[in-house]
Amino acid sequence: MSRAKLEKLGLTLPLLPTSTVGSFPKPDYLLQARARFARKEITQKELEALERKATEFWVQQQEEIGLDVLVDGEQYRGDMVAYFADIMPGFRMGGLVRSYGNRYYHKPIIAGEIRWPGPMTVKWWKFAQGLTSKPIKGMLTGPYTIMDWSFNDYYPDRKSACLALAGAIRKEVETLVEAGAKVIQIDEPALSVRPEELPFAIEAMQMVTDGVPAYFITHICYGAFEFIYPRMLRFPVHNFDLEMSNSGLDLIGLFKKHPFNKDLSFGVLDVHSHKIESPMLVKERIAKALQVIPKEALWVDPDCGLKTRTVEEAQGKLRSMMAAVKEIRQALDKAPKRKQRRIEVGSVVKKRRKKIRKHKYKKMRRRMRHKKK
Amino acid sequence: MELVLANHSSYPRVGASREQQRLRRAYAQRERGEISADDFNRVQDSVVAEVIEEQARAGCELLTDGQIRWVDSISHLAGRLNQVEINGLLRYFDTNFYFRQPVIKGRVAGNGPLVAEEFRYARAVSPRPIKPVLTGPYTLAVSSIRETPLYRDLPTLVLDLSEVLAQEVRALAGAGAEVIQVEEPAILKHPKDLRLLHKALKPLSQAKGSSQLALYTYFADVTPLYESLQELPVDILGLDFTYAPRLPETIARLGSRKTLGLGLIDGRNTRMEAAPQVFPILERILPRLSGGIAYLNPSCGLEYLPRDKAVAKLRLMKELRDTFLQRGKR
Repeated sequence: MSRAKLEKLGLTLPLLPTSTVGSFPKPDYLLQARARFARKEITQKELEALERKATEFWVQQQEEIGLDVLVDGEQYRGDMVAYFADIMPGFRMGGLVRSYGNRYYHKPIIAGEIRWPGPMTVKWWKFAQGLTSKPIKGMLTGPYTIMDWSFNDYYPDRKSACLALAGAIRKEVETLVEAGAKVIQIDEPALSVRPEELPFAIEAMQMVTDGVPAYFITHICYGAFEFIYPRMLRFPVHNFDLEMSNSGLDLIGLFKKHPFNKDLSFGVLDVHSHKIESPMLVKERIAKALQVIPKEALWVDPDCGLKTRTVEEAQGKLRSMMAAVKEIRQALDKAPKRKQRRIEVGSVVKKRRKKIRKHKYKKMRRRMRHKKK
Repeated sequence: MELVLANHSSYPRVGASREQQRLRRAYAQRERGEISADDFNRVQDSVVAEVIEEQARAGCELLTDGQIRWVDSISHLAGRLNQVEINGLLRYFDTNFYFRQPVIKGRVAGNGPLVAEEFRYARAVSPRPIKPVLTGPYTLAVSSIRETPLYRDLPTLVLDLSEVLAQEVRALAGAGAEVIQVEEPAILKHPKDLRLLHKALKPLSQAKGSSQLALYTYFADVTPLYESLQELPVDILGLDFTYAPRLPETIARLGSRKTLGLGLIDGRNTRMEAAPQVFPILERILPRLSGGIAYLNPSCGLEYLPRDKAVAKLRLMKELRDTFLQRGKR
C-alpha cells in the first residue's frame, strides 16, 4: 500500500481514487483535422490548436465527472507506441499491422541506435496541468512494450533493444518529475507475453523508476497473467492498473491464491463494449475487488484507454463509474471500522453474508458435537 | 531433395495504398450498415484473389487464401459451432494481436462447413495449389472459456472439437485439398498434453483421405517436443525455427521420418534473413530428412508483418531457395 508514498509527495486522495487509463476518444473535428494534416491540407500549428482545444475539453470533462487523478487524454497521440517511435531517433515507421478485428496500427521499426530526443510529453503534461488543480498523470509507454510492439532491425536481441529504450524513457521520467509530475503511469501491456523475459522487463523498469521521487503506476491489459503472477509483483512500481472487466474479473481468483501486495487500479469498465455499465454493475465489481484488496490500496478506473468509444459512451461510462464509487465511499464512511469491507452492494454481499452464516452455523454444530462427546 | 516454397497461413489483408485498404473500409461500412453482406463478400473475394496472386508472383508454390475472411484464428472457427458464444479480447500468444475468446455453453457441434467453401473459392482463383488451414482442436479448446459442466475437464472438449474438425478435414479432402494444415501452437505451452493431442489428431488423420495432414506449431521452442511430435498421426510437421536455436542440431541428430515444413523465415520481424544464416541450417538438416521433399515456409502466418514486408519475405524465400539449390548443383 502506498498511501504514505502519495502523502509524502503531497497528494491526499480520497478512498478508492478514480482515474482513467490515458486515452479519450478524439472529437470529430480533431479526427477530421488529423486526416487533413496527413493530406498536408493544414499546418502543424493548426492541428495543434485543435489538439489543445480537445485536451481542454477532456480535462474539463474529467473535472465535471469528478475524477481524482486526471490525464491529458492523449489527443495529440495516435498509437501509444507509434507516438514515441515517431519522435525518438533510431526508429522509422513501418506499415500497417492488424491488432484485432478491423483495427490496424503502424508498427515501428527499430532501425538504428535509440536516443532520447529531449522532452516528448512534458509540454502536453504542463498544458493539461495548467488547466486543473487536480493531479495530472505523466503518461508514458514502457520500454518492454515499445520493444515488443516494434520490429527490430538493429539490436542483436530483444533485451538489448529493451534496455536501450529504458535509458531513453528514464530521461523522460526525470524531465516530467522536474516539471512537477507526481504520478507517472508507464504502460506495459506487453509484459505478460513472454514470461521468460520478465527478468529483463523488470531490469528495464528498474532503470526507469529507480530513485525517482514519484508514484509509479503501470497499466497491463489483455494478457495471460497466470504465467507471470505472482512474479510480476517484483515489478518496481507502486500500482498495477489492470484490465479486469473484459476478462470477467477472473484475476480475482489468482489474487485469492497469492495476495496482491501493491496498490491496484481495478478496471471496472469494459472499453470494448458499447454498452454503458450500470452503477449497480460497477458497484458489484468494486465489491468483488474489496474482497481481495484492502480499501486503502484500491483505485478504480476503466479496463483500458477509452479512445475506441464514442465521446458520449466514454462520458456515460465514467459517470456510471463515479456514481458507483461515490455510493461505496459513503458506505465505507458510514460503516463501523471492523465491518467496512462488507459493503452493502447487491448480491455479492448477500452471498457473502449467506456464506458467513453457513460458516457460523457449521462452527456452532461442531462445537455442539464436541460438547456431546 | 525437393524444397517447395510454401506460405504459412495468414497474409496481411491491407497494404499501404488506398486500393489495398478497401477491405478495411468495407468492414467499417458494413458495421455502419452502409453496404450489404453481398457487397462486403465481393470485397473479401477480390482481396482473397489479390493476395493469392501476390503470393504466386513472389514465387510461392503452395499458397493459402491468407485467411482474409477470418476475424482471428480462434473465433472464426469456434464462432461457427453450436453452443459457442464469442466473448472479450485476449492476446494471441506473445503477439500484439488479440482474438475474441469463445465461451462454450454446451456440447459443441458442427453447424455447416467451416472453411470448405472458402477453400473452394480460393482454389478456383488460384494458379497454384491452395493449402487450407484449420486451428487444431487442442488450441481451440485451451483458448476457450468452458462454462458448461459437460467440459469440466479439458480432454472431453478437445476430443469433441476433434470430431467436429474431422468432418471439416473430410470436406476439405473431398474438395481436393492436397495438403491440409492443422495449427496447434498451444501444445508447445502445455507439453504434458501431448498424448491428448495424439488422441485428438487421430479422427483428423482418419478423415484426410488421400490428402496430406500437416501439423504446424509456432511461437515457442519446439525442440524439447521434437522427438515426440514424430509419433503423431500426421504426414508433415511445420516447425518454427525462430524460437528454437537448438532445433537444427536436434534435427541433424535425430533426422525426421516425416516431411518437414521449415519455418526459417521469421514471420514476426522485418529484418531480412541472409544466406549465411539460412544455408548452414539447410546443409545440416536436409540430408537427414526422408521423403525427398521439404517445405520452406515462414515461421508463422505473415499477417504480423506489413504487406510490403510480407511479400518481400516471400521473394527472399524464393531467392534463398534458388541460390541454395544452384549452389548444390555446382
